[in-house]
Amino acid sequence: MAQPFPYTYYACDCFDSNTAASASRAAQTPADDEDARTFDPRSPRSNYALYPLEHLLYCEDCQQIRCPRCVIEETLNWYCPSCLFEVPSSVVKSDGNRCTRNCYNCPVCTSPMTVSSLEKPTEPSATGGPYILACPYCHWSTVEIGIEFEKHTGITNQLSRIANGGKTLPTQKERDKERERRKEAEARGGIGGRDILSGSEDSPTRDGEGNAAPPGHDDIFSNLSAFYKAQMQAQTPSNPFSPHDLNFSSPSTYSRIMNLYSSTASKKQKREKPALMREAASALEGLALHDPASDIAAIERIKKEGWASTLSPARKLAQLNPHVRFDSELRPTASLLCTKRGKRCRSCRHILSKPESKITSTRYKIKLLALNHIPRLSLRALSPATTTTTPGPSHPPFNYNALRPGIPIHFLLHLSNPLFDPIRVTLATPSTTPGAIASRITILCPQFDVGANTDVWDDALSSSLSPIAKRSGDAQFEAGKIYDRGRNWTAVVLEVVPGFVTPLGGKRDEADGDVKGGGEVDADLLEIPVFVRIEFEADVSVEERGLGDSRGSKGEKERREEAFWTVLGAGRIVDV
Amino acid sequence: MSRPSARKPATKGEYIETDSGNKVSRRSAITGTANITLGGRTVIMADVHLRGDLHPTRPVPSSSGKEVTPTSISIGRCTVISTGSVIKPPSRISRGQVHYYPMKIGDNVFVGPHCAVSAISISSHVHIASHVTIHAFAIVKENVKILPHTVVPANMVIPSGSVVGGRPARVVGEVGEGWGVSGGGAGGGLGVGGGGEEKWVEGGDLRELVRSIK
Repeated sequence: MAQPFPYTYYACDCFDSNTAASASRAAQTPADDEDARTFDPRSPRSNYALYPLEHLLYCEDCQQIRCPRCVIEETLNWYCPSCLFEVPSSVVKSDGNRCTRNCYNCPVCTSPMTVSSLEKPTEPSATGGPYILACPYCHWSTVEIGIEFEKHTGITNQLSRIANGGKTLPTQKERDKERERRKEAEARGGIGGRDILSGSEDSPTRDGEGNAAPPGHDDIFSNLSAFYKAQMQAQTPSNPFSPHDLNFSSPSTYSRIMNLYSSTASKKQKREKPALMREAASALEGLALHDPASDIAAIERIKKEGWASTLSPARKLAQLNPHVRFDSELRPTASLLCTKRGKRCRSCRHILSKPESKITSTRYKIKLLALNHIPRLSLRALSPATTTTTPGPSHPPFNYNALRPGIPIHFLLHLSNPLFDPIRVTLATPSTTPGAIASRITILCPQFDVGANTDVWDDALSSSLSPIAKRSGDAQFEAGKIYDRGRNWTAVVLEVVPGFVTPLGGKRDEADGDVKGGGEVDADLLEIPVFVRIEFEADVSVEERGLGDSRGSKGEKERREEAFWTVLGAGRIVDV
Repeated sequence: MSRPSARKPATKGEYIETDSGNKVSRRSAITGTANITLGGRTVIMADVHLRGDLHPTRPVPSSSGKEVTPTSISIGRCTVISTGSVIKPPSRISRGQVHYYPMKIGDNVFVGPHCAVSAISISSHVHIASHVTIHAFAIVKENVKILPHTVVPANMVIPSGSVVGGRPARVVGEVGEGWGVSGGGAGGGLGVGGGGEEKWVEGGDLRELVRSIK
């Protein structure tokens, strides 16, 4: 998600925590090595390491930032995002991860569909129906695929029994029955497999029904699954060792288990290999032969109706049956379930966040945010409009999307401390930004203190601790001095000289096209990597609670430090 | 539709502040004021149109026989409606008649500039970016971020904690655990999400923002 300028991303170093580089870094590498390891926001890896501060958690035991990639998620419950009803996990297992109530999404535009009545005012029906599912956004409705419902509730149930065009679909039980009946008829009549394959064989009671249409996706699946089940049963005779049916569905697994249990004496006898399972051989067993006629029909249809009647890949993939081709085969898609998830640290398994399990509740039982442990860095332009006490309307707002190359811009880097101890901050940045356009960056005051996040009233009561420097012209621009400070925040000035999009002296027309900065995407983006290191003294007893002998040394202070990379998105450089 | 903006007197401030701290721009167009409730510390910016005149017309059975003014728009505390937005209660045609339904907007909701909102309910701590259209009877739950230029279709329910975007809107992500938590305590840092210039964060407490609007 693109954020508006200026933004700050925090790098979680979990992506290289198991590489040699970080191991050597932990052991205080020499300066040159450190230099070589400057964080590059442009490297493809950085995409997976940079997060806004709100998305980061903090493990108090590991004393490290935890990003979405270094936490383990555990699902607390499932719910439908549309009707907000919780779905028990047993139902999720049996019915899949879709809502089984009345929640459907439009197969064309994904907008949630509503049940509407087609009742005519002149001839009202008893039930108020017939009903349809209609999309309020693109006005697609189930009328287009010839489906109408009798009731306005239990849409899933009704939809599963209606095929496109309004024909009733057999239920699973009916399918099984029909298959058995056909099989019997086949055995009795001794009709060859060819007839079954072509689908022309039919019972006298259901004349002409399955004749024209080839077996549907669901038919083939149910036939095939029944066939495999039968095969499996034939392979596994009654088992003396495990009377209950274990879920070793494959015959080979079964025989292996049997060998483990059986004595060595009987091993020879049991060794015989199970007969290979045969594959489905007829339509009743789930064999689907490709019919070239269907291809020809499809081509004819495209000829007649054009590409407009076919489905785009996105629509096709959203369908339950991914083999549909035409818009007349679309089905409304039941809405996918959402989950509520708790998060644990990947290395120490401590819970980092745990929402309340109630669907409607938005509160958390446990929530360890990085926001409460990591100083928040924010950047803004120090334009004349912001330095004056009353920003008049005559000053246009600073345009972060048009940074002019070659002209120094002053940014204010604001660092606020969420900790209850004062911190000492050291900032570091490469002198020029990595990437095609090298902009010069200077942090005028790279080392400073930030006050503790104490009560607001402490500041007000102790008036002696007044801010050391008030804004009085350009005095704060000198190096080594902070710009401004408050109770728990400090602001320093960052000087940036944006680089040239087109190299100076180079030919303009070369770089004028869409190839900017050597064809790199977002080459004109000014992103400043800043390394932040904070030092502070924390109470040992608070952190090491329950770790044995720390109880005696209450009130003792412990020196701690925290270091991480951040990336400040300052804006875009324009081509002059 | 809107009142001529030229009427704005230069001496008076842009906003009229009520006893409960609501700030209503002189250049906003509010119709049917009797049917609108503002929770306090709520900001209605210039060129905002609140359609309070579109109130439920069904007779409200009142025991005392007294005329009860129907509520059409109720807005919570510390909510900001930015310039050019239109808040219009949702309507439905039933038996040949148009019926309006009361809409509810919670606390600390930010509605960006040039939005058209017809949702039936918007819960608290919702951030709606600019140029968003929310069609009739949509329900926006708590802690939701709606990206710019999104069109939320009618009757959509946006579950809490989600980020939605696109036309039509679909859930594209989740807001982080830190959504709405302003770092560094009160009076602390500049907001990250709010463009970095303001002392507030998206989905967080908007009191600071309300205070800064003059």
